[in-house]
Amino acid sequence: MECRHTGRLLGLVLAALLLLGSLPYLLPGYQLRLFTEIIIFSLFAVSYNLLLGYAGLISFGHAMFFGIGAFAVANFCNHISGIPLLAAVALGTGLTTVMGFLVGCLLLRVKGTPFALLTLAFNALFYAIATKWYPVTGGDDGLIIEPHKVNLGIAVIDPSKGPDFYYLTLIVLGAAILACWYFTRTAMGRTVVLMRENEDRLRFLGYNTMLARLILFTISAGLAGLAGCFYTIFYAFVSIDALSIDMTTTVLLMTFIGGTGNFAGPILGVGAYTYLQNLLSELTDSWPLIMGVLFIIMVLFTPGGLVGIFKSLAQRFARRPGSADQ
Amino acid sequence: MNEIAVFFLHGLAYAGLLFLVSSGLTLVFGMMNVLNFAHASFYMLGAYFAYSLLQIIGNFWLALLVSPLLLLIIGAVVERFLLRKVHVLGHVHELLLTFGLAYIIHEAVKWVWGTDPHALAVSGFLAGTVNIIGITYPVYRLFVFGVSVALGLFMWLVLFKTKIGIIVRAAVEDSSMVAALGIKVPMVFMGVFAVGAALSGLAGVTAGPLMSVDPGMAGAILVDAFVVIVVGGMGSLGGAVMASVIIGELQSFGVLLFPKFSLALIYMLMAVVLVIRPEGLFGEKQ
Repeated sequence: MECRHTGRLLGLVLAALLLLGSLPYLLPGYQLRLFTEIIIFSLFAVSYNLLLGYAGLISFGHAMFFGIGAFAVANFCNHISGIPLLAAVALGTGLTTVMGFLVGCLLLRVKGTPFALLTLAFNALFYAIATKWYPVTGGDDGLIIEPHKVNLGIAVIDPSKGPDFYYLTLIVLGAAILACWYFTRTAMGRTVVLMRENEDRLRFLGYNTMLARLILFTISAGLAGLAGCFYTIFYAFVSIDALSIDMTTTVLLMTFIGGTGNFAGPILGVGAYTYLQNLLSELTDSWPLIMGVLFIIMVLFTPGGLVGIFKSLAQRFARRPGSADQ
Repeated sequence: MNEIAVFFLHGLAYAGLLFLVSSGLTLVFGMMNVLNFAHASFYMLGAYFAYSLLQIIGNFWLALLVSPLLLLIIGAVVERFLLRKVHVLGHVHELLLTFGLAYIIHEAVKWVWGTDPHALAVSGFLAGTVNIIGITYPVYRLFVFGVSVALGLFMWLVLFKTKIGIIVRAAVEDSSMVAALGIKVPMVFMGVFAVGAALSGLAGVTAGPLMSVDPGMAGAILVDAFVVIVVGGMGSLGGAVMASVIIGELQSFGVLLFPKFSLALIYMLMAVVLVIRPEGLFGEKQ
């Protein structure tokens, strides 16, 4: 049973890899760009779900880390001449991780609702600093960057070319998403879930829950920063929108629409949100209003998100006697 | 000397406004344990309603009365049909709901009234100036402070000196016992939330003439109100009074003394309070 399951999974993964690898040949340029954006936001949403879904920590300030990563990579690329692109990304991610640790030290002193409130306040603080700190953020104008080519020895990747950047994003961010998935399976990842369910018992068993929470918060911040780095390179431009509360709202909506109770939920949510946004923004300028109403409806009636809907549909079909699925 | 007096009065006026906003926020949090992210959006709606009412009837006093009443109804509807439904799902869903509401109201306001800032003009003696402690000062700013003092006293009287106050506070402590005594607890919570919304509506109308009415006004005040209730202690009315005065004056003198870092000052205050007393100056330990 277990063996058959693994074999099936391996087949699925291989098929998925083949499909993802051949996408640049299947999709027109515009669709490929959309798909690249989906990968970037998927990492952002997955990192957010580590807090919301796995640890039950509700943050209204996740865009601050996305934005720090986005601005860090822009500054490293523009001010350090000849820096390899991936080194700039690594530095940007590292810097965000450090910031995540520092902010986490301060914010994790409180729990629950006060924590939610403070994350929003800190997001607003970083945004306020960004609007004023002209040399680093370009203020309201934003920053334009010229990403260097990545020389891998066997091939040269040009980030300004759609398919090249797609492969770079797929490999680096795909690996990061897989690392997140692996993390949720480790002892540490499971501790976090237990902590959400019954913290007192874990502490009684001798776990340092404060430390576990801080580590998770730091990792989540670093991953959001990595997504932010790719966001800047993708557009070859970054503005203060990257660390605005609107960006926090976007990732929250994406994650929740997909479903927080499942690892794949946020990725599904990003895809659904991005395509829906594309569709709606052609029809009306008030598309965020529709998104908001959709979000409220989901909070009220389907707390499990899209994944929850699919699961209950699957259950309904599986239960019906004599149906084609059986 | 005169300059200091002017900035002191500016600080008091802003403190008054902060108290008007944060009193409703802290009331709802203290009584229902719900942090209402849409509170500042109700405040913005209050200002926009007042703007439209002024266009139609042209009387500021009537707007000051009607706008909070409209928010009272909106608050009751939101509690009855939205918030109560997600209460069973836990506080994360309550937060998500109010956050989503704030997002919807923000977009709806842009849709209905547009993104251009509007001016809410007062007339009569409120638009004039008065001579106090040797300086000429706008009456309206003193009026804002006066409204907040009156409201603070009124809330204190209702909460601690009347039977309604006793019922509300008892419903927080032990809702099943209060229900057993024949009081409809869900009605009490609906009332508290509606009054919280009405208070933010009042704050919105009052703020209108001080600053422009635009879609960004909710975000601007929300963070300041959050800082007030973090510094004062979440759910504490006395804490909200003290923190409003401290932050109002800090903001005002900050502009005078360190124009570049005035914004950072209140965040620094919040960070210091968070490190020394995470539960706030007047808050109870969790």
